[in-house]
Amino acid sequence: MSATSESQVLAQPRPRAQRRFRWRRVASTTGWYAVLVALAVVTVFPFAWMLLTSIKGPNDPLMSVPPQFLPTDPTLAAYQRVLAALPISAFFVNSVIVSVTTSLLNVLVASLAAYPLAKMRFPGRTVIFWALLATLIVPAQLTFIPSFVLAVNVFHYYDTLRALIFPALVSAFNIFLLRQAFRGVPNDLLDAARVDGAGEFRIWWRIMMPIVRPSLAAVAIFTFVTSWNDFLWPSLMLHTREGMTLPVGLAALQGFFSADFRSIAAGVTITVVPILMFFIAAQRYFVRGLAGAVKG
Amino acid sequence: MTLRRRLIPYLFLAPALVLLAIFVVYPIIAVVGYSFTDYDIVRPPVFVGLANYEKLVDDPTFWLSIQHSLVYLLVTPILIVLSIGLAIVVNRAMRGIHIFRALYFVPAVSGSIAIGLAWTWLFDRNGFINSVLLSWGLIHTPIQWLANPSMVLPIAMLLTIWAGVGYYSVIFLAGLQNIPEELYDAARIDGCNSFQKHRYVSIPGLRPQITFVAVISSLAALKVFDEIYVLTGRTGGILDSGVTIVFYLWKQAFVLSHAGYASAIAMALLAMTLVFSIVNVRFLERGDAEA
Repeated sequence: MSATSESQVLAQPRPRAQRRFRWRRVASTTGWYAVLVALAVVTVFPFAWMLLTSIKGPNDPLMSVPPQFLPTDPTLAAYQRVLAALPISAFFVNSVIVSVTTSLLNVLVASLAAYPLAKMRFPGRTVIFWALLATLIVPAQLTFIPSFVLAVNVFHYYDTLRALIFPALVSAFNIFLLRQAFRGVPNDLLDAARVDGAGEFRIWWRIMMPIVRPSLAAVAIFTFVTSWNDFLWPSLMLHTREGMTLPVGLAALQGFFSADFRSIAAGVTITVVPILMFFIAAQRYFVRGLAGAVKG
Repeated sequence: MTLRRRLIPYLFLAPALVLLAIFVVYPIIAVVGYSFTDYDIVRPPVFVGLANYEKLVDDPTFWLSIQHSLVYLLVTPILIVLSIGLAIVVNRAMRGIHIFRALYFVPAVSGSIAIGLAWTWLFDRNGFINSVLLSWGLIHTPIQWLANPSMVLPIAMLLTIWAGVGYYSVIFLAGLQNIPEELYDAARIDGCNSFQKHRYVSIPGLRPQITFVAVISSLAALKVFDEIYVLTGRTGGILDSGVTIVFYLWKQAFVLSHAGYASAIAMALLAMTLVFSIVNVRFLERGDAEA
């Protein structure tokens, strides 16, 4: 540092302090980006490795020391093998049918139940409230044996998609989430509608539902993803290969291609892409739904 | 008219209550009943009294599965610490921070079977992990990770943690953003460094979220199935090394057709969840009072 600049600094201490401050900021920002990127690598790597494995050519060894990341002669042969062996498009259509139906009907059932719990006083309200809470606690796996018997002997929907939809139509969790949203609607609004002669059903549909639309979307999207990824119960119910959903079909893939990891990797990649695209499109609702869950 | 008015709330509730009665309440009652029978789902159940429970007490695999499920609960504190850490990291205004937040959430939406298969491949004998360890000279022969009884459960737990951190951190992030900025200013004035700032402001401010995540992640840990199923190729691992209580229930009921015996296991699962349900109800009750 020369004498002139030093005297300048003495005369005006601010700019230098600011410059140092800015330097520290740049350093800390870079550091934080390094942390964020490192975490992103840890999160995404298993998927990336799947994708890279799936397109490796016959001359690329799957196992090498050190690991070989990029394929030298990429090929889509593994995808052709998987698509030839398993009806992936049927799995996809089945998953869409189950998840869309489940999430839409869930919103309907939950919002109907949530309205009186949020805005009406009636005998038995507390009992119903606690009964609903109790069902939150019980693990679904506890009910699978009787539900299996019901599916086979009573409802006769074993090995159909209805077996996945009906038991999943109601979720106490969704009821609580929407009850919380309904409670935020001002009572004055409801009273005004009642004075105008609107019935309760009309109030629910024309006033309550439009106001809580973001919460409805959050419930629908969460239910959709849960249903999309559900495995244990669907694996018990679905037997015919063409009737399987994606997770059940994917598990079958593991048995089908036991040693052929290129094909398994291709299958996983095919099935992960649609739900990731859905997630990117609906991302902000995930945050809203999760943030709202704690208050509910 | 007044009768109709009085019926209205019940009409709104009817679809939900009927569905819950059929698909939750009835099955719970039925499974209690089945636990006193010899039942294979095909032939009608035969009453055997307490025989299933007596068998359960002497069943080493059952106790092993309980032990594994309790060990699995260790994921809960680890998930809480890591998720809060991640929430603090991503709770800053930086260009592109939304992209990172979205990336960390990816495992939570990808589905347990898909990520389980991805991990099976990473930990395969010919997988990436062995490749790296061999090239660094840390091992000299490939390790059979998932065929090693002492490794199955830790790998499954690691998978659960890896998949859960991004998910739970969203809950903590929302909590952090609700903490008033003045509290942090006050802490700074009082001379807190950035670690102390989080220790004395963030952690107490996140208490409702910590309780919530503790409850839901421990209930999820008790119910773990998919990870074990995929990582062990539906066997439960060599020497039942990955068998958790739900896995054992599934195996007895739907692989071995011992539905009566499996119902007794279900009762044990119910007893275990009851402990956590008490915490659960307390928490939700408090949340309700606050609302």
